[in-house]
Amino acid sequence: MNIKDILTPFTAWANVVKEPVTIKDPFNREAAPRYRGFHDNDIEACIGCGTCEAICENQAIDLIPVDGVETKDGDSGLRPQVDYGRCCWCALCVDICTTDSLRLTNEYTWIDTDPDNFIFTPGVTPKSWYKKEEGWRKPGNGYEFYSKERVDMEELHAEERIDSFIEFVKGYSKEQAEKEADRCVSCGICTATCPAHMGIPEYIKAIRNDDLEEGLRVLYETNPLPEICGRICTHKCEDVCSVGHNGDPLSIRWLKRYIADQNPSEKYKEILNQDTSKSNGKKVAIIGAGPSGLSAAYYLALLGYECTIFEKLPEAGGMMRYGIPEYRLPYDQIDKDVNYILELGVEIKYGVNIGTDIKLEQLGKDFDAVFSGTGLHLGRSTRIPGTDNENVYFATDLLREIVLGKDIYVPEKIVVIGGGNVAMDITRSLARLQQIKYGKVDCTATSLESEDIMPADREEVVEAREESAIVDPGWGPKSIEIENGKVKGLNVVKCLSVFDENHAFSPKFDEDNKKFFPADMVVESIGQGMDLSYLSKEFKEKLKFTERGRIKVDEYFQSGVEWLFVGGDIIEGPDVIHGIANGHKAAVGIDNLLNK
Amino acid sequence: MINKFLGFTPKKEMLPSQTVTPDTEIDLSSHKYQKIWLGPNHPGVTGNMAVELTVQGNTIMKAQTHVGYLHRGFEKLIERRLFVQGFPTSIRMCVAEPDTNEYFIARATEELSGYADAVPEYANWLRMLSLEMARLQGLLRGVPGQGGTFALGIGVQWGVYLRDLILDRFEELTGARVYHMFIIAGGVRGNLPEGFKARMEDNLRDIDDFIVKIKKLMFHNSIFKTRAKGLAVITPDMVDKFGIVGTNARACGVKRDVRKDNPYLYYDQLDFDPPTATDGDVYARTWIRWQELIQTVDLIRQIMAKMPETGDIRCKMPNVLNWKIPKGETYVRLESGRGEMGMYYVTDGSDKPRRINLRGPSYNHAISVLEHMLIGADVADVHAIMVSLQTCPPEIER
Amino acid sequence: MKSFIEKLNSKYVLQEVVYQRDDLVFAAIKKENAIDAITYLRDYEDFTHLVLMSCVDWIEDGKYQLLYLLHNPILKNDIGIKVYIDRENPEMVSAHHLWKSIWTYQREMHEAFGIVFPGSPRLKENFVVEGWDEIPFMRRDFDTHEYAEKTYFPRGNRKSNDPAEYMRKKLYPSQPVTAKQRKDDK
Repeated sequence: MNIKDILTPFTAWANVVKEPVTIKDPFNREAAPRYRGFHDNDIEACIGCGTCEAICENQAIDLIPVDGVETKDGDSGLRPQVDYGRCCWCALCVDICTTDSLRLTNEYTWIDTDPDNFIFTPGVTPKSWYKKEEGWRKPGNGYEFYSKERVDMEELHAEERIDSFIEFVKGYSKEQAEKEADRCVSCGICTATCPAHMGIPEYIKAIRNDDLEEGLRVLYETNPLPEICGRICTHKCEDVCSVGHNGDPLSIRWLKRYIADQNPSEKYKEILNQDTSKSNGKKVAIIGAGPSGLSAAYYLALLGYECTIFEKLPEAGGMMRYGIPEYRLPYDQIDKDVNYILELGVEIKYGVNIGTDIKLEQLGKDFDAVFSGTGLHLGRSTRIPGTDNENVYFATDLLREIVLGKDIYVPEKIVVIGGGNVAMDITRSLARLQQIKYGKVDCTATSLESEDIMPADREEVVEAREESAIVDPGWGPKSIEIENGKVKGLNVVKCLSVFDENHAFSPKFDEDNKKFFPADMVVESIGQGMDLSYLSKEFKEKLKFTERGRIKVDEYFQSGVEWLFVGGDIIEGPDVIHGIANGHKAAVGIDNLLNK
Repeated sequence: MINKFLGFTPKKEMLPSQTVTPDTEIDLSSHKYQKIWLGPNHPGVTGNMAVELTVQGNTIMKAQTHVGYLHRGFEKLIERRLFVQGFPTSIRMCVAEPDTNEYFIARATEELSGYADAVPEYANWLRMLSLEMARLQGLLRGVPGQGGTFALGIGVQWGVYLRDLILDRFEELTGARVYHMFIIAGGVRGNLPEGFKARMEDNLRDIDDFIVKIKKLMFHNSIFKTRAKGLAVITPDMVDKFGIVGTNARACGVKRDVRKDNPYLYYDQLDFDPPTATDGDVYARTWIRWQELIQTVDLIRQIMAKMPETGDIRCKMPNVLNWKIPKGETYVRLESGRGEMGMYYVTDGSDKPRRINLRGPSYNHAISVLEHMLIGADVADVHAIMVSLQTCPPEIER
Repeated sequence: MKSFIEKLNSKYVLQEVVYQRDDLVFAAIKKENAIDAITYLRDYEDFTHLVLMSCVDWIEDGKYQLLYLLHNPILKNDIGIKVYIDRENPEMVSAHHLWKSIWTYQREMHEAFGIVFPGSPRLKENFVVEGWDEIPFMRRDFDTHEYAEKTYFPRGNRKSNDPAEYMRKKLYPSQPVTAKQRKDDK
């Protein structure tokens, strides 16, 4: 044994004279700025999407209703409640939070005698640590749990599409669709906002699983027109998509189109496997082969009713065919959806005008019930001086005539009044016709609403401009200049505001700020009206009307006359998806009436 | 009492009446033997584990390890969780260096889903930093802890203080002190905070001092030398037979280190050479770990100097809620402070793993090796042997 | 590695050969040849280090898959030998004579999957669970959630809501619903 080995350990005594390293006040030690302590939730920003619950590996999170938070479009009204008996403070809930509302503060001491207190709702149950700014937040530097960027949809370039009515949106490939479907967090917030309440997370899941037949079955549960909706739906679901709070919302519409596109029409019958051969012996008449009529016919046929649709025009589809241009919705796609409904045994009688060819009352006698979805086919006029000229048209009339193949008047200079989707449709249709006829485009659309509040979809405006049409919003039409019986142009003044403080329509103008749009033709597209001329005077008296002049219906779209159900654009909308939802609900209403 | 710690020589009649081998028949009814249980209480034993000893006098005739006191079925529980949800559970399988298990799950899922090369460079350096910090904090407890088994408590106190400083750095970097949950599939969960390197350097300087102090305290200490030298010798031929890895293998001259043999992350870019010894006894193992302490401090300095200033911390991967991995299997491994750790990871095309199996060094060290080493040893040396083998029960039971 | 695998293949028929990494190969060998092949690998091909023995339950195929992962410390590469055994009558030849550590694995496999290794020492001793009267706990058909529900006592003061379902009940309860929802409501 070495003497050195006995003495050396005594050097440790040197520590006796050293300053102690103990923390002076261990009870108030501030944790690091990134420390994962107790939860806080910004109740205003949170939408109760439940991704925190889905990712919690300990099932520590529940979604519960909270006083003062209302369930509404885009907000489930639920808020996460955390059980600290299970939480492991991994903060995966923070990292996936779609709205960035959830966070962990760096507070870490909490003493309580009642164990139940450790189940609490962050942001609601009052806690001292909410005032702390520091703590764990979602990391940056490329850290994300789902892609925030939408998969771009391939489109034909403006030069390629301007001289024809070919569909210009190409649709997703398998790879693109699966990549886009992967972004979905399956919260289901969108389902409430969709007028037809489609099972959106379920069909997106079917895409991820590459089970498109299952996808089609999910689509047909709530929507018998998926090809059509997959192209031209107003996709209100995408406005509330939880992924959209922090990135691009899911491309729900294009994903729906992908499912419908990939399933060939000949296989629909086999995939959907819907048996309508058993009739229940009851008959229903449907007026108008538009979205609401087709939807009602589809669901009634499934319930065993014999349905006959009476259509005024030579082909089915209503506004979907005669109002929406072919470049957005090709006719063969309408046929695909309509043909499947016809395969279920639904009959369509074309060229029948209710009111003149057959009286509505007669239908009521011949059939057990009648559903009317006659839509908005009449144009509305601005009634400014000069609108009585023969070269002033309504957009709806022109669109219909283009579809019917009539030769319409296409001059070199055109101005369109209106800022909605129909105005964009006619502007872009006329631009195409001008390109075909003259090799150049000179078509201007002007609206009362300024650019930021234009009712048209943003992409419509952008695409119209790509196609060399001019969109010049924020002008109020004053008069149409007429010289020698011919249209010379449109006089407008600057529109300052469209709505007053109470959100009522009350436009204000700056009369000094004038502009003149030279044109040989003016198209009015400021809204559509309904044509109720098929209702006789006596019949109208039996019905009730709302203050806005619409037919009053109950929850199931039953009118004041027991056997008459009314739906579609004349009740709600105007758009396709409301029509589909109305038709579905009316079918249930008719079934309730006839199967009491 | 003091005699015992100064190298106690038992009187002849207290020695076993026969030579002890693993196959020695023990007849308990002869009243020559006694059964005692060591553990499963934690103090003095490495984790909640029990050793059932059959002794004659002070000499151990037979030893059997009993585990299960910490079993919560982690491997099974992870089978029920999404790929991203597994890592907070996995870290509980090893308290001493939890980061290794985070790394396994991340690495295995990346490899099986084809994202192994997509992980950003900055993230990989941060992974290395956190793994080396984990090794450092483990050694700060392990090296003086070996002294603790011979009642040399002062070094443990120094070590625990310095380990706390490293935990402070962990807290700053990862948001937690012990279970960091930092390494995630695709990268890591945070960048390097501002001023981190300077504060780390301060701590490393303190550790440099400690390394000198602990050397004087333990390796120039006659009691430690007397008791640890020649105790529980591992011979090179035992290494493959028993599956001995890491410092336990290196202390008897078998130079195996995953960081060198099968380099992972950027270890091939670092300059180091794993230390080895030849004696294979408790002293040699502690000595190797003390040298590793020096080396780890150096590695952390190298990593901080070589890593990029900033960058992406996670690569783009599928939505974690919908993430599915095609059918496949892999084995990922790394060198932890206690030796080779690894994970066998099997996927079946669903969104959850089919099977995960952690290979912890303790699985062999604490059962077959320990039971073998204890035969013929003195009861007072059991703790020392256990700690020198670095047994960690949670990774046996999983 | 490739030429070595070909050589091994000519000796013992290998199936499902997967080159997972440059230094890691998985291959399945018939049950009868497995221990023979492992002994050969250990004694003649320097795969002296047994890294891990493991088991996977492929319940849908009615098979257990055993894995013997061997490491070659000289060439620094690994081979995983997989052996499929029948799930109904799980029995495998013991390898406890090859490595001193393998009996622990076999004891664990016996407890966790119910696999029998005749001759393996202390095989039937408890490993991590005591007084276990359920089916072996690592089998796929053992449901941990169900077990926890029936063994422990949930406090019962928690209830969660599915956002989509909750919104339906709140916002559009009368809307015709999907067939699935109709079924759930009933």
